[in-house]
Amino acid sequence: MDRNRGSAPAPGEARGRHKWAAWAAPVAAVVLGLGLAIFTGCGSEREAPRPGPEPGLVTEAAAAEETASAARADPRGAPSAGAAAAAAAPALRPGDPARGRELATQFECGRCHDGLDVPPVAMEKHCFHCHQDILADKFKGASTTAIAKWKPHIAYARDVPSLLGAGRRYDPAWIERFLLSPYDLRPLLRPTMPRLALDAQQARDLAAYVTRERLATVPEEPSLAGADLARGRKLIEDKGCGACHSFTGVAALPEAPPQLEDEHYAFEERAPVALAPDLRNARDQLSVRTVYEWIANPKGIKEDTPMPKTELEPDEIRDLAAYVLQAPLEAVPPKPIPARLPVLERRVSYQEVSERVLGMTCRHCHSDPDIARGDGGAGNTGGFGFKPRGLNLKDYESTLAGALDDHGERRSIFAPLSDGTPRLLGALLARQAEEAGQVNPEIRGMPLGLPALPPEDIQIVESWIAQGRPR
Amino acid sequence: MSTKTLSVVRNVFLALGVTAALGVGAVSSDAQACGGAWVPEVEIDYRIAGMAMAEKSLDQGEYVAVAGSVLRMIPHIVASKPGRDPIMGRALRALAVSTVRMDGALSKIDKELPYEMIGSWVGKKAEDRSANLEWSVQALRALNEQKKNDPALQTELGEAMSKVPAHQEEALKLLGGLAEKDLVASPEGYAALARLRNGSGDKSGSEQALKRCAAMAKSDSLCQVTGKFGGDT
Repeated sequence: MDRNRGSAPAPGEARGRHKWAAWAAPVAAVVLGLGLAIFTGCGSEREAPRPGPEPGLVTEAAAAEETASAARADPRGAPSAGAAAAAAAPALRPGDPARGRELATQFECGRCHDGLDVPPVAMEKHCFHCHQDILADKFKGASTTAIAKWKPHIAYARDVPSLLGAGRRYDPAWIERFLLSPYDLRPLLRPTMPRLALDAQQARDLAAYVTRERLATVPEEPSLAGADLARGRKLIEDKGCGACHSFTGVAALPEAPPQLEDEHYAFEERAPVALAPDLRNARDQLSVRTVYEWIANPKGIKEDTPMPKTELEPDEIRDLAAYVLQAPLEAVPPKPIPARLPVLERRVSYQEVSERVLGMTCRHCHSDPDIARGDGGAGNTGGFGFKPRGLNLKDYESTLAGALDDHGERRSIFAPLSDGTPRLLGALLARQAEEAGQVNPEIRGMPLGLPALPPEDIQIVESWIAQGRPR
Repeated sequence: MSTKTLSVVRNVFLALGVTAALGVGAVSSDAQACGGAWVPEVEIDYRIAGMAMAEKSLDQGEYVAVAGSVLRMIPHIVASKPGRDPIMGRALRALAVSTVRMDGALSKIDKELPYEMIGSWVGKKAEDRSANLEWSVQALRALNEQKKNDPALQTELGEAMSKVPAHQEEALKLLGGLAEKDLVASPEGYAALARLRNGSGDKSGSEQALKRCAAMAKSDSLCQVTGKFGGDT
């Protein structure tokens, strides 16, 4: 076991007295962690944390929310898990933007999203800005050596959609549904909106807040009558929309977005592709007018969008909008849940689990407050609306020390779920299921909002647990 | 240039050098004194890296090295209590656990420490070993009071108490409670529980604890109810 990985600062690391210098460690932590990285060392010096509750622990309220959200229709056309349960849900009040703003602060939406007028988030907690500054060599408060070490580990939260002008774009009802049951909107942006511990009323209030600009006016919708879908399709092809956008459910566009695995993409090159939504979703999110206005002048709706303005005639805009909104869509088969690999016969040590899994991703949110200036991450000291769970995956002993349940009692993260699966393993499998559109009401999938672990990594964890968790 | 001129130039440079040297010495440590510009006052806390290395040694079962490192870094630690400085808590834990796993006798620590710091740590006499173990129990108890509800620390406290006869009843209760919830956080904890249960006549409970210990430990030699116990190296 390596008690030091991701925790201790490098030998000789300076501790300055200036307030900027005081940021260094926590920021380093956030960086490393939020690197939600995928790699060793993700937690180098003074690792601190990032988003997510601890594996295996879902509050009762969250579980209720999950049940409710599972009951909502899947926006991709998958069968509803329980429409009857949704119908039986108590009536909700109209969304309250003021309450929504409080919730946006409570759930720390500003740690990832710009464009909200909530109180600013401290730099050491701002996932996106911190990562951007490090990648652009603008980060203050850490040595160049430390920054050079962090850089390769920043795999996620390099591009995050801002919510600027969201009220001019989105349908509040869609936001409400999305918050309760997030799904993948942007195929090349690997993190997704995490499943937060929101109840239905909170989601409605948040949606009202995010779209508060919309409440004042309800513009008349333009007509798509007479639109030529075939011409719209040709325009999409001719204008090269497929260079950034996917459009699942229609015939493949001739240009395909580039893969962004190449780490050398500059932000300006990455963002348009990473943030480009699958056009399939437009009809759920946007009104006809919004699509019109967006195509005509994207920055008129969202000042910071990387979407370029394309010179089009009004009838071309109409045809393009019609194709986006009305082209027949084939059902997209849900992402298959990967087959579970058999338990390994060879011995699996904690060190292997730590290096392959815990140190790569989990520790960013489930760390030790003592080595991160009091912030053990969202899954330890709390964050993103999750209450403190005290789960510390820093080392062997801490991992075996469990997490706090809803009653403040310690519970083993290997305690069985209702089907007998150890909670830690259950959380990892639940994330695979979430990606396939199946929410496990008993447990929140981990890593929160990040891609599920590959089957080989889950196999390592399962084998280790099955062998009695050897050190 | 004449010799006289060179001499004058040399003296001027000498004077400037002396002035600069004196000036540097006289500069206030206040960052604001430098024309209002921020000049970082760098203070390197060597304990951070030292503690990280000590904890790594602890994981590797190098208990004497851990104790030597902690005592050299923080000579006053024996009389210290965990406070707001997390380093102090980590240091106390590392030293206490190391001492417990060496059964109170940090033999060869005299090679790690200056003579005046050795005290009773070598544990040549039974009373020295007892004193060392009792100190460890109290240190871990203080840490547990500061950080309540942490089964990792509770396991270490239970392990420490299991080696002091006066605390064994309490240790059995503590470790037994953790085992019921599957929260014993180390094979050493299960080994201690096995010994305590064996001593109290609970043979089957002892067997169960030994089985868990064997599944978790790197080495089976840790999981026994008699003989020298130490740690899982």
